[in-house]
Amino acid sequence: MTAGDAANEPLVHIRDFRMDFGETTVIKDLSFDVQAGETFGFLGSNGSGKTTTLRALLGIYQPTAGTLHIEGKPFEPRDGARLGYLPEERGLYKKEHVLDVMVYFGRLKGLSKAAARAWSLEYLERVMLADKANQNVDKLSGGQQQKVQLGVTIMNSPELLILDEPTKGFDPVNRRLLMDIIEEQKLAGATVIMVTHQMEEVERLCDRVILLKDGTSRAYGTVSDVQDQFGGTVYRLTFEGRIPASPLYDIASLAPGTADLAPRPGATETMVIRELINAGVGVRNFSTERVSLEEIFISVYGEQNSLAEA
Amino acid sequence: MSTTTKPSHSTAPAPAKRSPLSRHNLGTVVGFEFTRTVKKPRFWIATLAIPVVMAIIFVLIFASNTSTSASAQAQKNATLDFTFTDASGIIPETLAASMGGKKASDPDTALADVKAGRSDAYFAYPANPATDTIQVYGADKGVFANNTYEAVAKQLLSVAAQTTINSPELTAAAAGEVKVQTETFRDGKVFGGFGSALPPLMFLLLFYVVILLLSNQMLNSTLEEKENRVTEMILTTLNPTTLIVGKIISLFMIGLVQISVFLAPVIIGYMFFRDRLAMPDFDLSSLTFEPGPLIIGALLLLGGFTLFTAVLVAIGAVMPTAKEAGVIFGPLMALIFVPFYAISLILSDPTAPIVQVFTYFPLSAPVTAMLRNGFGTLGTGEAILIIAMLFTLGILILRLAVHLFRYGSIQYSSKLSITKTLRRRPAELTGK
Repeated sequence: MTAGDAANEPLVHIRDFRMDFGETTVIKDLSFDVQAGETFGFLGSNGSGKTTTLRALLGIYQPTAGTLHIEGKPFEPRDGARLGYLPEERGLYKKEHVLDVMVYFGRLKGLSKAAARAWSLEYLERVMLADKANQNVDKLSGGQQQKVQLGVTIMNSPELLILDEPTKGFDPVNRRLLMDIIEEQKLAGATVIMVTHQMEEVERLCDRVILLKDGTSRAYGTVSDVQDQFGGTVYRLTFEGRIPASPLYDIASLAPGTADLAPRPGATETMVIRELINAGVGVRNFSTERVSLEEIFISVYGEQNSLAEA
Repeated sequence: MSTTTKPSHSTAPAPAKRSPLSRHNLGTVVGFEFTRTVKKPRFWIATLAIPVVMAIIFVLIFASNTSTSASAQAQKNATLDFTFTDASGIIPETLAASMGGKKASDPDTALADVKAGRSDAYFAYPANPATDTIQVYGADKGVFANNTYEAVAKQLLSVAAQTTINSPELTAAAAGEVKVQTETFRDGKVFGGFGSALPPLMFLLLFYVVILLLSNQMLNSTLEEKENRVTEMILTTLNPTTLIVGKIISLFMIGLVQISVFLAPVIIGYMFFRDRLAMPDFDLSSLTFEPGPLIIGALLLLGGFTLFTAVLVAIGAVMPTAKEAGVIFGPLMALIFVPFYAISLILSDPTAPIVQVFTYFPLSAPVTAMLRNGFGTLGTGEAILIIAMLFTLGILILRLAVHLFRYGSIQYSSKLSITKTLRRRPAELTGK
């Protein structure tokens, strides 16, 4: 491999990944890359295969087929010093002191005892758990334990940070605190892969995303790319009258007095407004909006839920 | 899309510096596992409970011995007031008088005196004491004190017989009070007998102590990661082999601490209070330390420890909880005691089929082989074969346990399917 090749090589490279559990195929031929330094959103409904993919990437699961590489090779535990992984299943040594657990993981990740201890104390101070340093982990609330676990995850200044629903179960204040910490890791140069259902977090932090549904990729690219794939913009209007069907747009959502219209290729704001006025619609307010990730998420997975309910 | 906002809180702690030289993960695991165990009060409560109980027993023995000694001294000083009749003519009246006895002229009167409490006892010696029974009558002084009558009656007859023989040598020979020294030979060299058997058998004792003390902790060593949901964090941080080997080393160290604590009162008691605690006085000079059996014993101990540890760790990796693991744990532990059902055959007929089965069945092999090694019935060839079997199986099962832990411990709530887990990773996935 030449230096040029190495520079272009993605940090995480997944090709044709397939995962079967018995007769059930959970992931089907999934392929995507994560470039060094970017923040990557891994999106999908519950059971869509996100955690399975991460576990296979980290060697915890044995993939059925495909290539899962970090820095050009399968992950080995000895590479853990450069990785920060916050798993979906939270857990620490519950009967040990918070500080002892943090120092232990710090030592395992290559820090000296003194450095691990100093960093841990500073982190606990920041997340308002300094007074819990010498308490057993099981004396902390679930949210406090999560903060400790996030500290363990980032204490080695990881080059690759993989976070599986990092803010699950947090109140808005602590969620904001944690997102700030994650953003700092990003600014410090870490590559971040984040599984989350919080679309505002994705829009705030992520450079690129992948949407997973039933083990396959439904959308993949920058947030703008994904928004474009799902219509890009909508015309949001308040009106009087009845919105007619038109070759210029699709009715994305409709409620009494409000509607979202998804313009078809070639249609402009002026053309749509004229069409509405000509049809006798009293347009009170008209604005152009980007489709939010949350709306895309709902449109993709709402369909799935509707089918499931049916 | 919303714009990126700058962090609103203070900055995170400065990145901690990694040092490649500081990644001694095995030492870190051993240190963490050992320290967190020995700093817990419940560890010391459990560990000290046995020596404390032993100390209490020693104190009670000490007090009892003092009391027994005083009681024995009082009995020794007490004079028994008895009468006797002697149809054999063996007992001199002067000898009886020196022990507090007086010859009775009428047996009925003598018996009546005992019944009335005027005399402690009456002994009726028959014409032929070798075939006929000596009749002893005494006033009741309690179950144990009543034995004194019989002892005095026998003692009087014995001393009278010695006086009649008038030869210390013949008396000792007749009483069987002679010293015997036995010397046996094996391969033309003197075999030390029980003195040779004892040192190798110490490895068997050590094996039992280590397994009984540590087996439960071995079983739970990997279950803890599973039950606390720490597995994923651990598996992406260090090699599972390092984790498991580190746990085993720390358990062994903890076992040494416990053994030291248990032995301390015995050693202190033996060294300083041996007489008062009525501890047997071992003549250590009679022990023979033969290198061959000692080396074989040590290797059997290590091989057996490796095998049992590996099996226990594997069980822990397969089972989701300690409770479910306990179902297998009990029968497994019973296997180390099974050879004692055939102990007489193991010692007398090592070629018996049952002994051969116990010798080569992996889980009963360590105990059987250590017994046979101690008593000198384990050939060198057999020993090499068994040691090789124990180490090979132990290492293979340990590797299996690591594999099961790595790919199976993520199943937090269900029992692991070993066959599914053993499916190897395809080469194209590993890149090897």
